Amino acid sequence: MSYLSSLYLPGAVALWCALGFSLAALWGYARALGGDGTALLFGRRAYRFFALAVTLASAVLLVCLYLRDYRIEYVYQYSGNDLATHFQLAAFWAGQKGSFLVWLFWGALLGLPLVRASGRDEAPVMGTYLLTQLGLLLILVRENPFVMLAQTPADGVGLNPLLQDNWMVIHPPIMFIGYAAAAVPFSFAMAALWRRDYGNWATRAFPWALFGFLVLGTAILMGGYWAYKTLGWGGYWGWDPVENASLIPWIFGTVLIHGLYLERTKGRFRRLNVVLATLVFLSVLYGTFLTRSGVLADFSVHSFVDLGISGWLVALMLFFFLGSAYLMATRLREIPSAPSEDPLLSRGTFVVLGTIALLASAIVVTLGTSAPLLTRFMENPGQVGPEFYNRVNMPIALLVAFLLSLVPLLSWRETAGWGQLLRKARWTLAAGLAGAAVAVPLGVRDPFHLLLVLLAVAALAANLAAAAGLVRRGGLRTAGGYVTHVGVGVILLGFLASSAYDESAKVTLERGRPAQVGDLTLTFHRFVPRTAAAKERMEVEVVRADGRRYLAYPKLFVNDRSQQLMANPHIRSFPLLDLYISPLEYDPGEPGGRVILTRDQVAERGGVAVRFLGFDLDTGAHGAMPAASGPPTAMTVGAVLEITRAGRSERVTPLFRFSPDGRTEFPPVEIPGGGSVALSGIDAESGAVELLLAGLPELPGTPARLSLDVTRKPLIQLVWGGLYLIFLGGTLAGIHRFRQALRHDEVQAAAGG
Amino acid sequence: MKRRIAYIAGALLLLAFAGFSLTSFQTALTPYVSYPEAREQARTVQVAGGLARDSSSYDAESSSLLFTLVDPATQQTLRVRYHGVKPANFEDAISIVAIGSYDRSRDEFAAGKLLVKCPSKYQGAEVKTYS
Repeated sequence: MSYLSSLYLPGAVALWCALGFSLAALWGYARALGGDGTALLFGRRAYRFFALAVTLASAVLLVCLYLRDYRIEYVYQYSGNDLATHFQLAAFWAGQKGSFLVWLFWGALLGLPLVRASGRDEAPVMGTYLLTQLGLLLILVRENPFVMLAQTPADGVGLNPLLQDNWMVIHPPIMFIGYAAAAVPFSFAMAALWRRDYGNWATRAFPWALFGFLVLGTAILMGGYWAYKTLGWGGYWGWDPVENASLIPWIFGTVLIHGLYLERTKGRFRRLNVVLATLVFLSVLYGTFLTRSGVLADFSVHSFVDLGISGWLVALMLFFFLGSAYLMATRLREIPSAPSEDPLLSRGTFVVLGTIALLASAIVVTLGTSAPLLTRFMENPGQVGPEFYNRVNMPIALLVAFLLSLVPLLSWRETAGWGQLLRKARWTLAAGLAGAAVAVPLGVRDPFHLLLVLLAVAALAANLAAAAGLVRRGGLRTAGGYVTHVGVGVILLGFLASSAYDESAKVTLERGRPAQVGDLTLTFHRFVPRTAAAKERMEVEVVRADGRRYLAYPKLFVNDRSQQLMANPHIRSFPLLDLYISPLEYDPGEPGGRVILTRDQVAERGGVAVRFLGFDLDTGAHGAMPAASGPPTAMTVGAVLEITRAGRSERVTPLFRFSPDGRTEFPPVEIPGGGSVALSGIDAESGAVELLLAGLPELPGTPARLSLDVTRKPLIQLVWGGLYLIFLGGTLAGIHRFRQALRHDEVQAAAGG
Repeated sequence: MKRRIAYIAGALLLLAFAGFSLTSFQTALTPYVSYPEAREQARTVQVAGGLARDSSSYDAESSSLLFTLVDPATQQTLRVRYHGVKPANFEDAISIVAIGSYDRSRDEFAAGKLLVKCPSKYQGAEVKTYS
């Protein structure tokens, strides 16, 4: 019974109930597949109870986090007393167990509308979907987040300081909505194979595929923005395996959307779409396996350790791979494919080519990310860096931009010929050439880069014109594709400018001495100590070439709990570029006025003689430090000093205060006649004091230095702007396809009834 | 006829891209090697190990960091030079991955990128990349 007593029962029981209900629902849907009509109702009801139980388990963990119930190991490991409430709740998805629970939670919720949306195919769709949920649930039952500790600690370990960022509060849960949504088109595809009914699933799955694309894309954007704003290495995308693990399903999802579009409009890709929907789901599982199993431990900045679930994840992947492969191998050939082939110079051909290009991109990114796994059995395992991804995706980007700039001009029927197409494309071409002509004086010389600018601007212009034309004719709801493709043109320009044309310089600034970095003049003014509202910051004055100036505050601080050095960049956005100032190193310098004295010793610095007379423990009597500045339990020690300048002696008593929380403070005290002295340290054993003298002439020592990485990121706003356009277009398309799916169901219901 | 030519051209393009990807993959692949192997090769490789105690020195003027890696299994050592700002908490590193190539003229490993793992109370260990 010791296993039972080591679990927090409210949460664990909810998980077990979820397991029971999911099995019951599966049984019900399986019976319904066999033709038992009442079992369908049973399965549906059991599914709702399953969703309720998962919600309860999640609520229990959330409440435990809120109450800081450190009996629970997970709460202890990822949260702490010092965390603000929103970070405390974000600890939910800081660890692997919680992440799987969030994933399962969204999956269970998405299943509720899916019951209705799957219509006549409810039993096979929900059956497949339940199997995907069951896989996650089994991992959670084994790696239970409700394991309790033998003793209750007073405080938790705390949340990784890198995750203490508002973007990190919402990025992971949104990512997991996208992961959960990836199971839906897969379930529709498997149900279609099972029922041998291939005509309906594309219409029904389409809005879900768009939903997953939007949500996962938003999560990727947030992750990139967080990396750019917080991590300080100057980029938004590093081709890290964890980033790729979310990108690969997103690209496969993009391919699926285009495949479904072709199927809906032209009846093409009917077999391939089943494969694509499967690939989206399997790539989510594969990415999870890569990042959660520890196989990449030596290769990734996000070093996830092996939780002992690699075996489960492999089994899960094999199960869904073999199951879907069997269904596809036996039934895919039955799917009637479109007899008519597209004329060569038509919209259909171009969309197919673009789809193949995106598929190629997804495959090479998967290949690169799998490098450590693929080379594991060779003599020396290895990995590939960002250069690989940038290199192989360049021709794909060129091809995609080329296709996008012509697609809006092509009709589904044969276009008369290249001559006519070129005539139609003359304005597009002119826009592209104008873009390239602007790029040359800006410093773009590489022929491939110029070609990319030309094609991206052409794609932007052609799709903008097409979208505007549609909107003018009142066709906003079908303009989603064009709007998205305008965004693709914009983002390609942003990628190129911000990655290939950023200028970065490392500079070390001596305090108070201006330094030239490119056409900027930087002066390190001062170190700003921590306040209640802000971490330690560096004040740097930046003067631009035109004389305008601003103050930058990059942050560099040591996290209280982990003692890690944290650096946050300062970013100033201008219309055409970002100035990105990232702190690298701070050397406070050697204050020249540092002296160590034992009792009755004298030191001379800067025309002042200091004698240490003795300690003053009765510091409550001094007005030098207001008693309100610290809690009453703080210990305060004073050093009585005799300071002699030009024959006149004065007594001053600088104070040193220890707070119970381990912090120390030692405010400087004015010396009559100028300058100050602070008691910066005490050695109780030898009875010596360390004093800091400041503001006196001719103190020796070295000045404070600050090392910075100063980067110009041109046109990075185009990356964010392009993504917003892509999401706007995706939303328009999502609404359109959602309405179509609803109409489809009505028509079917009318026909069936 | 026209269609067949288009198909062949498409297939050739795909083949060309596959070849291009594979060669890029092979060039970009940086294998993990032992120290003796690293000394023999001119290509970019990665080496891993612990930081030899008190072996690191940093020259702020030239911003170069010099340290010795120790292979925990074989106790072999490798002298590494890294140009750039010294990673935070470098002395506390429990394991270091250096990516670069061997510089025969100076008889040391010239690292272009460091992955530094520091002991951490958080899950696994905190890794930071420097390049």
